[in-house]
Amino acid sequence: MTSNDELKKIARFIAEYATCLLASGVHTSRVIRNSCRIGASFGVKIKMSTTHKTIVLTTHDRENANVYTEVVEIPALPINFEYNSELSALSWEAYDTRLTLEELREKYNRIISRPKMSPRLVLFLVGLANASFCKLFGGSWLAVGIVLVATLAGFFTRQQMQRRGINHFIIFTVSAFVSAMSATTALACDSTAEIAIATSVLFLIPGVPLINGVIDIVEGHAVIGCSRLIHAFLIIICITVGLSCPLILFKTSLL
Amino acid sequence: MILAEILTDGLLAAIAGIGFGAVSYPPTRAFKYIAILAAVGHAFRYTLMNHGEVDIATASFFASFVVGILSLWFGRVSRCPMTVLYIPALLPMIPGMYAYKSVFALVMFMQHLEEPLLAARYLQELFSNLIVTVSTVFLLAVGATLLIFILPKRVYSLTRQRRDRSGRGPRDPRDRDDEPE
Repeated sequence: MTSNDELKKIARFIAEYATCLLASGVHTSRVIRNSCRIGASFGVKIKMSTTHKTIVLTTHDRENANVYTEVVEIPALPINFEYNSELSALSWEAYDTRLTLEELREKYNRIISRPKMSPRLVLFLVGLANASFCKLFGGSWLAVGIVLVATLAGFFTRQQMQRRGINHFIIFTVSAFVSAMSATTALACDSTAEIAIATSVLFLIPGVPLINGVIDIVEGHAVIGCSRLIHAFLIIICITVGLSCPLILFKTSLL
Repeated sequence: MILAEILTDGLLAAIAGIGFGAVSYPPTRAFKYIAILAAVGHAFRYTLMNHGEVDIATASFFASFVVGILSLWFGRVSRCPMTVLYIPALLPMIPGMYAYKSVFALVMFMQHLEEPLLAARYLQELFSNLIVTVSTVFLLAVGATLLIFILPKRVYSLTRQRRDRSGRGPRDPRDRDDEPE
């Protein structure tokens, strides 16, 4: 038996939990399963409907007729897989050990406030990744070095713009432009310049929404899946635009 | 010699997987598994493509299916959901050169609208490269996801703590029937 007030508190928590998960790049069916599991740990049924921007959430008690419904907005958060695994584990913990709502919220807050990996380290790792990508495609060592520098420049641009809260379509266009433009230095001195330019923008590819979109669609959440794919395609178009500028400028030397 | 090539390919893919994974902030314990998955997946695809004469889309499908199976096992060991491990591991397999060639063909097509012969050539290049890119990415996503349909129960409980670690013991037996998947 849960009173109306408790039901509301549970719904509020699950609303926050589910929007955080959806925003940080978790596919829809997992979000719904995790939320229902937490609901079940309180003996409450959860029904939810998700779109790209909002979640409609209803909690109801099976033993009395209490129902509480809420529409919550999904914030724009960066992708975070740590939330994916830790918050999923939290839902199992809640279910298996019957945490109270206070304990649950405390653990949730502790996970949310964990420090993230330092931006410098991420920058360095992404640079190395893209450089080794260039080698995978058969670039020369000189091209690898140029891609490393181009990626560092492009990703640094992206981080700085993200910190200032600029529209992310602009961020992707500008970062792609910066990377591809830096990579065109390879044209002056290297035979594998084409590979260098091609790989310099690949770190921007939105792999997570692409794969999540496909997963959502094949699992039957077609609306949100298509929204994710459309979003990913818009980002790819932005990368294309950013990459096209240097291509038009240097097209004669690329042929 | 062939073995050395395959190993180099795997090593480079592992570095790429770690870097692309870092953008999406996986838990620290997941990094070593992401690296292994990326290496195995890419090296397997390399072998299929260069020594098995399989095309890039089909090879990507089989490689990502293998990555999916391994990520189920690693997910159990590291208590991470499968997607956390396999999405970063699949990123090095994105067909970057084909994607680039499509963009280049699009740009060149626009520049040669007045010359039908050249325009037709670039249009054909645009389409063939685009089709390879899209089908490879789609098959990559489907290959790894396939396991979710084959073994849903096991996939969905990877992050569950083993029983009896807490003092509170297992739940009421009468609640058994409403256990969510």
